[in-house]
Amino acid sequence: MAFESILDLHRSSYKDELRPSFYVDFNVDQIIDKICKNWGENISSFYYYLPADKESEDYRREVMADVKIVSLNEVLMSFVRKMKQHQEIINKKEFVRRDIQKAAWHISEVMQYGEALQELLGALQEADIRSQGMISLKESLETYLASEEFKTMYQTAGELQQERNSYHFKVKYSNNQVVVSEGEIAGTYDKFLKDNLTEPEKPMKSPFVENADLVSLEMLIIEILQKKKPELFKNTLAFYEKYKDYAKEVYLQLGKELPYYLAFYKYEEKMQKKGFAFTAPTVDETQDMFATGLYDLALAYVNSEEDKEVTTNDVVYHAGETFIVLTGPNQGGKTTFARSLGQMMYFTKMGLDVPAMAANVHYFNKILTHFTVEESVETGRGKLQEELVRLKPMMNEEGTNDFVIINELFTTAANYDAIIMGQRVLQHFIGQNSKGIYVTHLKELTEAHESVVSMRAMLDEQGKQNHKIVRKEAEDIACAINQVNKYRLKYEQLKERLS
Amino acid sequence: MKTYLLYQDREWLDTKPYFDEKSIIQDLGLRILYMMAAREVIVEGGNVKAISMPDTFIEETVKTVMMVPLETEEEIRYRQQVLRDSLENPEFTIGLYDISCEVLKKWDEMGRKDKQKVGQKDPVSNLVGDIHLMELFCDGLTRIKALFQEYEGKLMSPGYKELKKRLEEIFTDEVQESLQQILKDISFYGEGMTVDEVTGNKLIMRPDMELECTLGEGFKLEGFKLESLTSKVMKYRSPASTISKVQTFINSRVPDSIQIPEDTLLKDESYQLDWGIVRHVMNYCSAFMFRFQKFFDHLHFQTAFYRGAVNLADHYKRFELEYCYPKVSDKGTLRFTELKEVVMAMEQRILPVGNTCDMEDVMLLIVTGANQGGKSTFLRSVGIAQVLMQCGLMVTAKSFESGIFPSLFTHFTRREDSAMNSGRLDEELGRMNQIVEHLGERSLVLLNESFATTTEKEGSVIAYDIIKALNEAGVKVLTVTHLLSFAQRMYDEAAKGQGVEFFSAQRLPDGSRTFKMIQHEPELTSFGLDLYERIVLAKQD
Repeated sequence: MAFESILDLHRSSYKDELRPSFYVDFNVDQIIDKICKNWGENISSFYYYLPADKESEDYRREVMADVKIVSLNEVLMSFVRKMKQHQEIINKKEFVRRDIQKAAWHISEVMQYGEALQELLGALQEADIRSQGMISLKESLETYLASEEFKTMYQTAGELQQERNSYHFKVKYSNNQVVVSEGEIAGTYDKFLKDNLTEPEKPMKSPFVENADLVSLEMLIIEILQKKKPELFKNTLAFYEKYKDYAKEVYLQLGKELPYYLAFYKYEEKMQKKGFAFTAPTVDETQDMFATGLYDLALAYVNSEEDKEVTTNDVVYHAGETFIVLTGPNQGGKTTFARSLGQMMYFTKMGLDVPAMAANVHYFNKILTHFTVEESVETGRGKLQEELVRLKPMMNEEGTNDFVIINELFTTAANYDAIIMGQRVLQHFIGQNSKGIYVTHLKELTEAHESVVSMRAMLDEQGKQNHKIVRKEAEDIACAINQVNKYRLKYEQLKERLS
Repeated sequence: MKTYLLYQDREWLDTKPYFDEKSIIQDLGLRILYMMAAREVIVEGGNVKAISMPDTFIEETVKTVMMVPLETEEEIRYRQQVLRDSLENPEFTIGLYDISCEVLKKWDEMGRKDKQKVGQKDPVSNLVGDIHLMELFCDGLTRIKALFQEYEGKLMSPGYKELKKRLEEIFTDEVQESLQQILKDISFYGEGMTVDEVTGNKLIMRPDMELECTLGEGFKLEGFKLESLTSKVMKYRSPASTISKVQTFINSRVPDSIQIPEDTLLKDESYQLDWGIVRHVMNYCSAFMFRFQKFFDHLHFQTAFYRGAVNLADHYKRFELEYCYPKVSDKGTLRFTELKEVVMAMEQRILPVGNTCDMEDVMLLIVTGANQGGKSTFLRSVGIAQVLMQCGLMVTAKSFESGIFPSLFTHFTRREDSAMNSGRLDEELGRMNQIVEHLGERSLVLLNESFATTTEKEGSVIAYDIIKALNEAGVKVLTVTHLLSFAQRMYDEAAKGQGVEFFSAQRLPDGSRTFKMIQHEPELTSFGLDLYERIVLAKQD
């Protein structure tokens, strides 16, 4: 199959889709901001649309695995840098006025393009690549770079560049006149500076370097040189005419799309150095879906800035289990847990690594979320009504096999009503063959369906929140004890503090 | 370039002062020392004529250096050697300090601080500034080198000798000449038209240069190599003059040449080229100068300390205080003869009593005795001497020998304002807690009338607990106390050879005091009665 894009098998139109609400709910937007830092504005948009189908997800996952090959990774980074410089040369070429200058910049542009592609192909041939994306890219490059068209062009450009570089001439400046002649000099004054001040050699920067255009003094010098060595300038112009549209769009696009993997991987490496685990999830439908050492990546980043660790948790959906109903004390890490699970689903869908020690993730069509928001003043709707309005489209969707994350629904409704509504919501999604997690303060929801699993946020021995989430029967929470604990005013605690 | 006058192996950077320097300064009254160090004693015909206004930089410097303890015997010896050279060659010390002051002052006038704000000035005036800076550094270094050569053979300390050596190695005569040559070659730059005083001709500096270039990307010029560069003085002629016109005609006949008329874009570009070349040349020079950029700051700071010491020595002489270079010993040793409390001597202009002491293997000294008997003065004099020794300065005694305690603390309570008040005790204990928290490996704690803000009984218990614990933890403690039951308890417990020593104020059999401290067991009275009697009875007479 011909290579079209490193992000997908085929270029398709879903790229225009708006980003779903879960980006904000899971704090994925914060993570993406950090990933894209130092990579330019354009790349963040790649993280804002999801692959169309399972095949595309797998395509990316395979590419991601190849991106992690050390030798290849370095060259991919270098390729992206070179293609960026290539674009800068194009900008210069477009900026300058005279044809002879455009032609001169064009040589550099072709050289940059050719070098970048050749280096990339070399690395692809060296590395043990397995992904369909990388393999078809390699094949495509092999054909292109071996073509007569490319070979002749690249060789001619190289010869012209060589000829230009090896042409030396002298400029003598005195009495308000500049005299130009061919040949080389010894650099006597430079040697005097270097030896007498015992300094390492410092090449002189052109005073005209700021301007991509030739300044008039340079232009006058070039005019003299054109008389002295006419063939160099003629051939350069001829090359420009002949190879005006040389670049293949698919490779230019590659330079822009590769940062999708590279930026993520750099971020991943940085976090790993700080002790946060990442894993490439397996996607084996025949095994239980699970994750060990799962954590909230957005929170981990914030904590890492303060040298703090982050709580990790394990989760599993055994065969036949559909929904986790998560209960427990406030500030017990329930929302964080829901977010970390959401992040795992998102990054898996994107074909990237997930913040966990190990994970096996099943395929779902969509990720649906419902997180509590502050009461909407503008619409004047009550919170319950607002929640139901947002819930409606989620439940109306035709889809089956979605992953649903619900955080604190119906908190303003009467308990009795809330329990019934919650049970109905759960049963609806279960009926649609979906899975997910439902965070709630209603322990009754753990009994909504036989396939529901109860998990609970735990307290430590002193009754403090330790953000551990475990499989356990839901139970009522005594709020008063929490208050006392919070201020460490229990008898034993006071004894300990005063000892 | 390395200055290294305060330490053998480093500049004054990342220094660690005493944990609670404020208390040390206040409790020991050190302020007078750095105030005096900042003031020169002006002598005329062998008599003190005047005391100069303070040099605030010296004052700050001496204070700063004083508050950072040296940590090894080698460090102390290194500084003492430079100090000895400085005191024996005061004119040299003053000269060195003055040069550094002048260089920095001119640098400031040239807008040193403005330049550090990036983008404040246009690059051209930055370049002019660099050239002036090069002249300034060149001149300063030349003078310093000459000063060192003048004192050849008189400076014995490794500090000064090595500095001289480094200076001669880096700022060689050859370098000095090269820099002067370069300044001449680029003198066309930045200098406008001058008028010849003899002929009245207008003169103009013109560059003469030859370069090699290659063609770079986009046919831009690159690969510059500089073959020759000179400035030549020419008579200025109006472009309209006949001679100018002839010259222009001759020029235009030269093949492959570009004429650069005045007031054109080309002329501007030729200036850019001039400027590029000067910048290139200055790149070499700046890298060279960069080695000295911090040198003058370091030299200024470090010589300020020794300059201050010269002043301080003059004040010692003025107050007839004998001084010595203290000797480093092990931590249990405290040995001195005729140690005088210098702060009191300078502040109250009286010659204090000299104390003598000889202790080995003593980690706890408890001083008790009569009120107004000189106990606190004694403790302060030891503390001051300790600080002076640990910053390399001279001590006002015939001899002084002690261990090194980089972790030095003072915990002083002034009797007169020690009203019984739980808030004050709380504050005192809080300070003690701070001390305990920050005790280091080699710690010395000076306690002066600590825990006097509560009853004697309670205070004694607190003092006993704390001092006992500190002592057992290997902390050296010198304490002056009126807590006699505490002192008695320590005395009863301390068998011979326990590393505990007791001093009290000397009291002659007739009840009169000498204000000297002597080795003596604690007595159960602080002889307040004596004082009472002396004053009350005197009135009755």
